[in-house]
Amino acid sequence: MSAIFVDNISKKFRIPHEKKNTVFQNIIGLIKRQFDYEEFWALKDVSFEVNKGEALGIIGRNGSGKSTLLKILARVLYPDSGSVSLDGKIASFLELGVGFQPELTAQENVYIYSSVLGMRRKQVDRVYDNIFDFAELKKFENMKLKNFSSGMYLRLAFSTAIHATPDTMLIDEVLAVGDEAFRKKCRDKMNQFKAEAKTIVFVSHDLNSVKELCQRSIFLHEGKIVTMGDTEKVISDYLAMLQGETHNT
Amino acid sequence: MWQYRELIRNLTFADLKNRYQNTALGFFWSLLSPLLLAGVLYFFFRHIFGREENFAINLLVGLMAWRFFTTGTASSLGAIVGKAGLVTKVYIPRQILVLSSVLANLIGSLLEFIILLPIIFALLGHLPVTVLLFPLIHFVYFWLIFGVGLLLSSLYVYFRDVNYIWDVLVNILFFCTPIFYPLSIIPDYLLPYYLLNPITQFIGIYRDVMVAGALPSLYSIVIVVGFAVAAYLVGSLVFSKLQRRFAEEM
Repeated sequence: MSAIFVDNISKKFRIPHEKKNTVFQNIIGLIKRQFDYEEFWALKDVSFEVNKGEALGIIGRNGSGKSTLLKILARVLYPDSGSVSLDGKIASFLELGVGFQPELTAQENVYIYSSVLGMRRKQVDRVYDNIFDFAELKKFENMKLKNFSSGMYLRLAFSTAIHATPDTMLIDEVLAVGDEAFRKKCRDKMNQFKAEAKTIVFVSHDLNSVKELCQRSIFLHEGKIVTMGDTEKVISDYLAMLQGETHNT
Repeated sequence: MWQYRELIRNLTFADLKNRYQNTALGFFWSLLSPLLLAGVLYFFFRHIFGREENFAINLLVGLMAWRFFTTGTASSLGAIVGKAGLVTKVYIPRQILVLSSVLANLIGSLLEFIILLPIIFALLGHLPVTVLLFPLIHFVYFWLIFGVGLLLSSLYVYFRDVNYIWDVLVNILFFCTPIFYPLSIIPDYLLPYYLLNPITQFIGIYRDVMVAGALPSLYSIVIVVGFAVAAYLVGSLVFSKLQRRFAEEM
């Protein structure tokens, strides 16, 4: 059974020579006949499949299309061609604490963030105490979020996110924030999700955590898949390419 | 969208809480501006139109109805751009952001009209039975505003001066709508065009059912329902086309 099926997707970005973002500039542009922009293919003919319960890593240099790919899976961006089919409940962790409102209390924000992640109020009620216990923030539940330190903010967001019990998780570097203790907590939780046979797509520059979490990986370069398969092999290809580049320059 | 009803509710109440600064008094503060405007308009125009029947009440009803339109469209205009995180970092049906913003305004407007009822009662000596039709009219009005909100909020992502343009249009519309003057001062040759303005028709209907105790004419019902349906269809069509590239444009 595949949880994610990506069929031949491409994504093109338009980079205008002059950014026009008002009606006024567009009218001027029409008069002067400037519509020129450059096209940039962030992804080109990418196809792959992720099975249920599998963790897939995506690696590549900056600008190779990793985040674009993840955003397409998260249905934030739409591909220009090709199709994506996703199965089950998906949670995208492109950023933690999406929808948090500084003027509201921690308690209210937990309910808001949970509903962003598609949870019902009753489901949140059941895990409410666990969320605050895991985040170690029980005594701050009635404090306004604007008074939280960035570490507290992050812990609350992460704790809420992991209690949303999705079937598939899309993770983009969120583990790379916070102090060492927090990162360890995140790694433990990811491994637990893996043991519970959740589907994970993991984008990271941290090759060690990719190796630890994912059996299979994809190496993206300039919007195309270079290698796909066993993580060890993919990482060595990636490192070989990085080596080659430093030799050339 | 139904499966996200929890989110719609949360965003609506968060919006209300932010607007009224978490206090019950916040709502009364928000009433201050339309009441002051009503007072000023009454003070200056009573000498000219004061002999019109129920000038003061009609002015208040007109202003409250107008207010739902301006605050509803203005706050939904920024509903997408103002919640960038919910657009670029996570998937939710994006109409929700506009819907919850208009819903928060709907609740605010309902409260304002409820406050209006005892005032009407005090000034008129009775409340017409036709006031029971109010929820129905308000529901149609809500769809018009939601439709306009969908259109404006999606255009605003691409054109960041839409808010200024809309401000100007709304100001012009204010003077083209019989809020502080009676319809009778409009010359006959202009009247047919004048009556095509849906806000004129809405305000007329509110005054009919809340003050005059009359049923709205079939013509005005056709106009308001027609505009509400058209605004919603156009708004959601444009929105669903434009929303595909929201995340890139923000």
